[in-house]
Amino acid sequence: MPDPSDKLAALAALRRELGGKVRSGTEFLEECTRRDPGEATTLAGLDALLGGGFKRGRLTEIHVPGPSRGGGLILASLLARARQAGQYAILFDVGSGFSIESFPDRDLESLLWVGCDSAAQAVAVWDVAARDENYRWFFLDGRDCTPEDWRAVRPAQWQRLVGQMREREAVGVIFARGPVTAVAKDRLELVSTLGLDSLHQDRETIVASLAFRRVEGGGREKAGRREGGERRMAG
Amino acid sequence: MKEPPRRRSAAKAGTGYAVIWCRDFRLQSLKRRGARDFPIALVDDTQRQSIVLCANALAARHGVAPGMPTVQALARCPGLRVERPSEASELAASRLLLETALGWVPGIEETAPGILTLDLSTQPLDQWIESAWHLRDRLARAGLEVAVGLGETPALARIAAQAALHEGVEVWHLAPGDRLARLDRLPFLVAECGAKLREKFQLWGLATLGSFARLRREEVAARLGDEGVELWLRLTGRLRRPLALAKLEELFEEHHDFDYEVHESEPLFFLLRRFLGSLAGRVAATGRSVAAVHWLVSFADGTFQGRRLALPEPSLDEEVLFRLTSVSLEGLEMKAAIRGLRLRFEPSDPVATQRPLFGKGLRNRHLHGETLTRMRKIVGADRIGSPRRIDSHRPGACERLPLAAELGETEGPPPGPPVTGPTLRRYPLACRTSVQVREGKPLRVESARLTGVVIEAHGPWKSGGDWWHRGQSWERREWDVALLNHGIFRLVETPQGWSLEGYYD
Repeated sequence: MPDPSDKLAALAALRRELGGKVRSGTEFLEECTRRDPGEATTLAGLDALLGGGFKRGRLTEIHVPGPSRGGGLILASLLARARQAGQYAILFDVGSGFSIESFPDRDLESLLWVGCDSAAQAVAVWDVAARDENYRWFFLDGRDCTPEDWRAVRPAQWQRLVGQMREREAVGVIFARGPVTAVAKDRLELVSTLGLDSLHQDRETIVASLAFRRVEGGGREKAGRREGGERRMAG
Repeated sequence: MKEPPRRRSAAKAGTGYAVIWCRDFRLQSLKRRGARDFPIALVDDTQRQSIVLCANALAARHGVAPGMPTVQALARCPGLRVERPSEASELAASRLLLETALGWVPGIEETAPGILTLDLSTQPLDQWIESAWHLRDRLARAGLEVAVGLGETPALARIAAQAALHEGVEVWHLAPGDRLARLDRLPFLVAECGAKLREKFQLWGLATLGSFARLRREEVAARLGDEGVELWLRLTGRLRRPLALAKLEELFEEHHDFDYEVHESEPLFFLLRRFLGSLAGRVAATGRSVAAVHWLVSFADGTFQGRRLALPEPSLDEEVLFRLTSVSLEGLEMKAAIRGLRLRFEPSDPVATQRPLFGKGLRNRHLHGETLTRMRKIVGADRIGSPRRIDSHRPGACERLPLAAELGETEGPPPGPPVTGPTLRRYPLACRTSVQVREGKPLRVESARLTGVVIEAHGPWKSGGDWWHRGQSWERREWDVALLNHGIFRLVETPQGWSLEGYYD
């Protein structure tokens, strides 16, 4: 019977020989994502942190730790960008807090608003909408959702959603107070706070002053552990 | 004899008409069912004595003629196949005739059974003859032999069609330039004038329509009266009339009555598939698409259920049509056995639905329609839509419209006043709040949602409206407040008290 160590050595030699000619599916997808310049926004700081803009076929979380951090302004900028490009967007609004007077009429022309009762319902309806090739942008406004709300969403749903998004090359952005799902590869946190004077300022000026921070590690690991645990239970 | 197409000149539309004449239409509608290669006669046996209404060429060769007793016809032609008129066959044949003609022009009059008058004003003049041949060939392939007459007026086109039948050609054009020369070749029989008038013409030595058309109107009126003048006006192209255009609403329709009681939807879907295939093919033949589907199910207790299903975009895709209709039929309430199904297609207007070549809009409207239906089942029909402002100052007043299928260009900044400041995010339910006020300004806010000290406040902003509608008036005073360690909020004071409406973000 051949020694297993010989097999491993042979495999390693084969890999060395093939070098970069053969890649795993994961490596291939990651390279595709790296090469994708992404959907650039008008927000220089945001684009820089995301490596050019929102990556197509991926979920991006924007953490808005509390009121008056500029989460709604980011949403408004992205809606304007989608309308300018003639692309349709869907907003899954958990809690139906969307306020029409905060958005220019023209930017609403390409927006489909969907009012949802819970995060789970929003993801369920997103799962349906993600199969539609007409939409390029998907926004989930879960700023008022609690961690318990997000835990009600099954990890398999997120996985399926990302698969659909990748197939359609659509952009998914989740606005939340904290980490939501491990499948979101990009996480940014809004660190600036708006003052009362900003109510009378030009919107472009306020948006340009917003500061972001890339969230690494902690939140993702936490979400990953949770989903991993559920997967084990299911197995 | 095939008339050669005219040399093409400038492609301009002209005023003109075509008459499609299907000789022995009732017989031809039966012949479409396969009775072509043997003598056949259509008989009327509703009277005391059965008589022959019409017969085909094979039967005529044996001496069978219209008006002859059926017994005599059978004696002359022992192999004669005797048929009775079939309303269903005639209806199917007349629909085929109309649908095929619809592929040429939209303005069609059903002048008589088997006779159509077409308004050619929308067609380029130099394509009339070619299109007429094309139509004639299509009808021949479908089992209907027709003659096509073309002329400046409906009356002249009819004479041209009769001339084609008389001379045994398929297409006859009475062009204005050589009309009189052509009429010189035609006998009075072609103009369908009465026997007495024809006898008078014979006595006067007039043999052709052309010789009559050359007479002066006053002379005709003095000698032949109204009947003669009417014929003269027809031949000279002075008799014009508007067409009574055919109603196309019920054209693309199929129905079936079950012979037995149906209590399940399966036979309905089977029938639906069959109807869809047939109707889609018929609509396609006219160069159009399906804009809407109507279905009507009749029940044994005499009740009906039906719906009109508008398609997001005209389509001929049978799968799309089946999905749309079957989903709707699944919601059928079967309180009694099903008796029959009626399905109708509403054809699209090809010009009205033309989309801009480089326009931005929905890529797949059918898919979008299906997506909306599925999403509505999850969140409810009233919670999906494209938000639009309405003419009201009431905060948050909006309506939800269907998403625009086409998006216009977005050059420059958005119209209207510039939008300033952060966006407002409303709480689902206004949060009742206790507010401590000093010198008319809020100082401290306490509510179930949050408690905080006001470090800065802007306001009050007063607004109100709808006082002209009983029970709908509203009045409020808004404050924009910055709460220590919390953020910026909108505080609202109404006659009912204070509330926290939402936060700026």
